[in-house]
Amino acid sequence: MRRREFIKYGSALAAFTTASMSLPSLLSAQIAEEVPTGEEADFDLEIVDVDVELIDGSTVPMYAFCHAGQTPTIPGPILRVKQGSTVRIDVRNSSTRSHGFQIMGQDAAITAIAPHEGDGEDKIRIEFTATRPGSYLYVDGDNAPINRVLGLYGAFIVEPTNGFADAARQKPMPYAPAAATPAIKSLFSALGEATIGGQPARFPGKAWRPGREYIWIFNQIDPVLCRRIAAGENPTASEFQAQFHPRYFTINGLCGLDSAHDKATCPTGRVGEPALIRTMNAGLATHSPHIHGNHVFVLTESNNNGVPVYQESLNEHDVWTMQPMKTKDVLLPFTAPPDVPPAPWRMVQEKYPLRYPMHCHNEISQTSAGGSYPMGLVTDWHIDGPL
Amino acid sequence: MVTINRPMFDPQEFDTFGCHPFENDPSTPDRIARQVYVERQVSSWNVNMKDGSQLQFWGFKDPTISGSDSPWPSKIIRVKQGQIFHCMFKPSKGAHTIHWHGIEPTPMNDGVGHTSFEVKSSYTYQWCAHQAGTYLYHCHKNTVLHFEMGMYGVLIIDPVTKSPDTNNPNYLYDPLPGDSAPGITAGAPYSAESILVFDDVDPRWHTLDHNAGMCGDDVGLDKFNPKYFLINGVHNGRTQTDAKTVTKATAGWNVMLRIANASYSRLHVTLPFNCYIVEVDGRPLRTNPAKGWFSSPKYMAAGSKLEVGVAQRYAIWVPKIAAGSHSITGNFHHWITNNKHADGTAIAKINAA
Repeated sequence: MRRREFIKYGSALAAFTTASMSLPSLLSAQIAEEVPTGEEADFDLEIVDVDVELIDGSTVPMYAFCHAGQTPTIPGPILRVKQGSTVRIDVRNSSTRSHGFQIMGQDAAITAIAPHEGDGEDKIRIEFTATRPGSYLYVDGDNAPINRVLGLYGAFIVEPTNGFADAARQKPMPYAPAAATPAIKSLFSALGEATIGGQPARFPGKAWRPGREYIWIFNQIDPVLCRRIAAGENPTASEFQAQFHPRYFTINGLCGLDSAHDKATCPTGRVGEPALIRTMNAGLATHSPHIHGNHVFVLTESNNNGVPVYQESLNEHDVWTMQPMKTKDVLLPFTAPPDVPPAPWRMVQEKYPLRYPMHCHNEISQTSAGGSYPMGLVTDWHIDGPL
Repeated sequence: MVTINRPMFDPQEFDTFGCHPFENDPSTPDRIARQVYVERQVSSWNVNMKDGSQLQFWGFKDPTISGSDSPWPSKIIRVKQGQIFHCMFKPSKGAHTIHWHGIEPTPMNDGVGHTSFEVKSSYTYQWCAHQAGTYLYHCHKNTVLHFEMGMYGVLIIDPVTKSPDTNNPNYLYDPLPGDSAPGITAGAPYSAESILVFDDVDPRWHTLDHNAGMCGDDVGLDKFNPKYFLINGVHNGRTQTDAKTVTKATAGWNVMLRIANASYSRLHVTLPFNCYIVEVDGRPLRTNPAKGWFSSPKYMAAGSKLEVGVAQRYAIWVPKIAAGSHSITGNFHHWITNNKHADGTAIAKINAA
């Protein structure tokens, strides 16, 4: 494939499973152009080879995204755009291997970006219009699922331009009112109401505010396969999946104590400060995240193409299932823990902050390297104070 | 090559997060008079598997039952919504906890070592369930092993009111003015109840010590190869005949089917009758904006499949069950490959006459 190409695929071709399996048909459908020079990229991404230090101090070779020239991270940088905007992303490949870039559920995919020659000019641009507000996974869709599971994944967030459940009452929500379901609008309208119909309401405190959100991306690491691939082996997708034996289970690239301490991962706030949590599973295992202290409302669930489907029925779960490549937005209402005794009982001897865990209940994921419970896919969340 | 390093950490906190969680026997904070009192002690049992072998399981026995031991899995606990609940818990063989799965009390009563403490010799848990529904209770110490070893039981919060339908006198939840639950009778009234907890067993794990792996040892807890498949502690060779997994119902009356997944597999359940999902994870499906509820029952036609995630609970309402023998089929699939495990099917029955 030629370098310096701008490639845009139709949405029907954007499904991740097709990217590496039917490359010839994809190439025939491409629209290739020289990189336009007039418009600056919104995001300038680079793919690099990295060593990753794990919770037990061992290191494994993986891949990572970064803003070009900056420190790589797993997951990659959060890409945040507005609905309807034209998004321009430049991708350069500084890894030793060929890679791609794809946003699941958006009209955006590049395949077979060859390693660049070190002149800093080798980059490929992708340009598309951001559609439906919600949470999307971006991945290296090439060689699926290998490159993705080895670290090339991140969150692409589309925010609404006018996201209000009820604009007159200043009730924002993370979706566009024309497309959000009645249930979603009702929930976000109820947040922050002290009373409804003259009776005490369920969600006193504050309405949800844009930016009051967390992102939880799950993945699993098989150190043996990571090392074999770094040593030059090229397993097929089916070989990789058949041999995949993860020994580390991560949330935002972290395990156990590290994720519980990570400010970007551990939700905190007072009673009455509802938080959106964008949950995604970049790995191959099906996770069952279980939260203590509050149930969550499941707001969206991605379909097979990665497009978020806004839920008609907002089921409240303490466990929500996360199959591979699934994204779900959930709302953590930050109410007082509901199963304490009712007033006039008051919590006096027990003190804030109230600390609760969120962990995958397929407890195999709570281990690292065959033991060390709970140094796996777990974090905490804290209620820092009362209403 | 760039190395992505771990964040800095405090070695002492690392130790208490994992290897040596805080153990204690505190008084219950903010304790008030109880309305329900139960006791639980840690115990162990040998349980028959399908091939005739016996494996050790752990769990919670009720020490107030004299002259006989409690069964495994641990005895069901039923409490009414709004009751002040106390459970006096006595571990043995080291520290343990009880986590009231789906109940959301203060952290001291939540039973998680790294966010509060593990019980050394005795503690009285206190909570007050605000919502009728289907829950579990289980040990939350070295949970990966202790949950697999069977340290769980069913916890049901019953509603306060009874249905006026004399054929179907039990409610799943108290219907309230303003509720909307299209398709079902409000409160999901029922006569007979089938409670099914699906589990899978890797015999190798049942030879391990309570603290196996906690301090950095590789004891193979990343390798789970289930060989046996159970419902309510009954192996799948007997689930279609054993009284623990066969429910009798009256044809034409309503049945409540509660399903929980206590395995480490993806559980795909096939429902044999037209029915409705009426509760998930202890939360009835209904809309009532004044109460902050925004969900709806989901109709499931006969033959529908339902994936029950690990540790999820579903309550399924079967209106006017037809006469006959109805098979509830659970298929256990690998959590990564989603391939069905060898012999990974367990079938329970509801016999309506």
